[in-house]
Amino acid sequence: MTISQAKAICIWGTVLSSVIFLALTYDFHVKLPAQTHEEKIDAQVAAGKWVWQKYNCNDCHTILGIGGYYAPDVTKVMSYRDADWTKRFLGDPAAVWPAERRMPNLHLKDQEITDVIAFLTWVNGIDTNNWPPKPLVATATAAPKPGEEIFKAQGCSACHIIGGVGGTVGPDLTKVGNRRNKKWIEEQLTDPKSHNPNSIMPSYAKLSEKDRDDLADYLSGLK
Amino acid sequence: MKYETQKIAYDYFLIATLLFGLQVIFGLITGAKYVWDHDPLINILPFNTSRAIHINLLVVWLLFGFMGGTYYLVPEEAETEIYSRKLAYFQLILFAVIGVTAIAGYVLGWSWGMPFLEQPTILKIGIVVVALIFLFNIFMTMMKTRKWTVIQGVLLSGLVMLALLFLFGIFFVKNLTTQYYYWWWVIHLWVEGAWELVAGAIMAFVLLKLTGVDRELVEKWLYIEVGLVLFTGIVGTGHHYYWIGTPGYWLWVGAIFSALEPIPILFMVIDTLRDVRERKIEIENKTALYWAVGCAVMHFFGAGVWGFAHTLPQINKWTHGTQVTASHGHFAFFGAYAMVNLTMIYFALPKIKGIGRFKNGLSLMALRMMTFFMILIALALGIAGIVQAYLQRVLGMDYLTTQGFMKLWYAVFWVSAWGFASGVVLYIIDFFRIGKVAKA
Repeated sequence: MTISQAKAICIWGTVLSSVIFLALTYDFHVKLPAQTHEEKIDAQVAAGKWVWQKYNCNDCHTILGIGGYYAPDVTKVMSYRDADWTKRFLGDPAAVWPAERRMPNLHLKDQEITDVIAFLTWVNGIDTNNWPPKPLVATATAAPKPGEEIFKAQGCSACHIIGGVGGTVGPDLTKVGNRRNKKWIEEQLTDPKSHNPNSIMPSYAKLSEKDRDDLADYLSGLK
Repeated sequence: MKYETQKIAYDYFLIATLLFGLQVIFGLITGAKYVWDHDPLINILPFNTSRAIHINLLVVWLLFGFMGGTYYLVPEEAETEIYSRKLAYFQLILFAVIGVTAIAGYVLGWSWGMPFLEQPTILKIGIVVVALIFLFNIFMTMMKTRKWTVIQGVLLSGLVMLALLFLFGIFFVKNLTTQYYYWWWVIHLWVEGAWELVAGAIMAFVLLKLTGVDRELVEKWLYIEVGLVLFTGIVGTGHHYYWIGTPGYWLWVGAIFSALEPIPILFMVIDTLRDVRERKIEIENKTALYWAVGCAVMHFFGAGVWGFAHTLPQINKWTHGTQVTASHGHFAFFGAYAMVNLTMIYFALPKIKGIGRFKNGLSLMALRMMTFFMILIALALGIAGIVQAYLQRVLGMDYLTTQGFMKLWYAVFWVSAWGFASGVVLYIIDFFRIGKVAKA
């Protein structure tokens, strides 16, 4: 091969790839509004995106799978945490999630919290070509009890172990149904200090009565 | 060393070396946060800040290295002195000041918040000014003699591409998908595009000078490698467009092009080994030779093989956003770019210091330790990532519970990182020792 042929490979390889890439970039912009439901990006979502950037959230959390690997991916976080939980968590992370790997308290203003939740709610709706994938095993087993969903969504496993999985701040709940009945658990959820004045467990009185009932039902059934 | 202004390179290499050391210190701090859940620094230097500093120092020291390499290479290729020594030093000081301000700013909570591009906008504008001064100085030097060697042409193209692409990372866009689409134009098209051109030109120069093979042979291969790097790498950006809110066809477009990306890197290994085998002169600077061959091989495994391993969407679906990416990131940056800079430094330093043969025991020990422990780092993070992908993605375990099961591999990673850091310490000692030998 002569040097001029090598030069031709260099130039035409670059040109060809650039043309394909720019054409696809054009198409990306055409399809973008529908795929990311751009019409839902209002001033609050944009403000929330800036809160996300200003506090450098992305160097701990991944979003769309990109960023730091120190904390959970937040792409679909609003699918499994409600706005109320997220608001309480961002206001005082250690109180809501007392596990040792913790998020610093960023002392966010209420407005900033509302904005970033609006942003994450919008992100939750982006069509990500089905990423993250649905777990293979979990989808193959029977649907979980409603109380189990609440246990997950409220982040109870930060402190409590069930079946070897979870934190060690609070007692192991694997067989909690053997020692506590549903009524006792309901009382504990509503006012943890009713059984032990020194308990550090946060109160779950804010849960709806049905949710609390479901959760107590699930836990008292663990035997 | 033929030209007086090639000495400018020394000060760039010096800063690069110091920042490399600092980067590794912040790496150890950041890594410790994975090993011990309780973080005593959470309110002073939380994970996001230490990670931002770790990855920014990486980019900045590599850029200082590239700039130093360019200031050394261009006078010899253009056969003339650098256009302006003053501009070169002004640019060095300005870049260093911006770097220090950025890092101090992160600690104080001043951030723009996109990974790698955390620098607040005003500092980014400063970086553009630094790039313009640098490009002007290099371009004017080349224009003095207009000897458009292929090495010079590729180097200049790479540097211009590098500067232009940075512009896509400056603007705030409301739509996160768009923001990330163009963020990759900086991140991906730097490391799998512009930087490959700069590194390729530097490596071609070093091999040409070390082995004395025909320039035409080296330049012909450089053209082919650059052509293939850009052909596969530009559309190959698509392997980052699988899951960020972009059309589904990127799954196969990105897969096809990025699967071809290891080919030019394999060519570079073959090219390097052939140059060494067919050398026309006795290789005096064996140290630079070992680093060059090490670089070619580690580049291939770190960027090529480790990248290929999770580039296909069928696999990437599970590994995306896990420590598998961190494993690849460490291995690839070290093999492709840290090592090319260290190769150039070991090639240029003795010449700048005016010494011929020098004791290379320390350097080779540094090479062995860095390489060995970087492989362990990549393996430990890779296994952690596989555990994570399996428990979190396949079994559906929650994120933090999964982290508990990864502890062992975080510990292996962190201990290996200390081994790597020891290699870096040996290198830093050697960098200053070579200078002292010359003075004596």
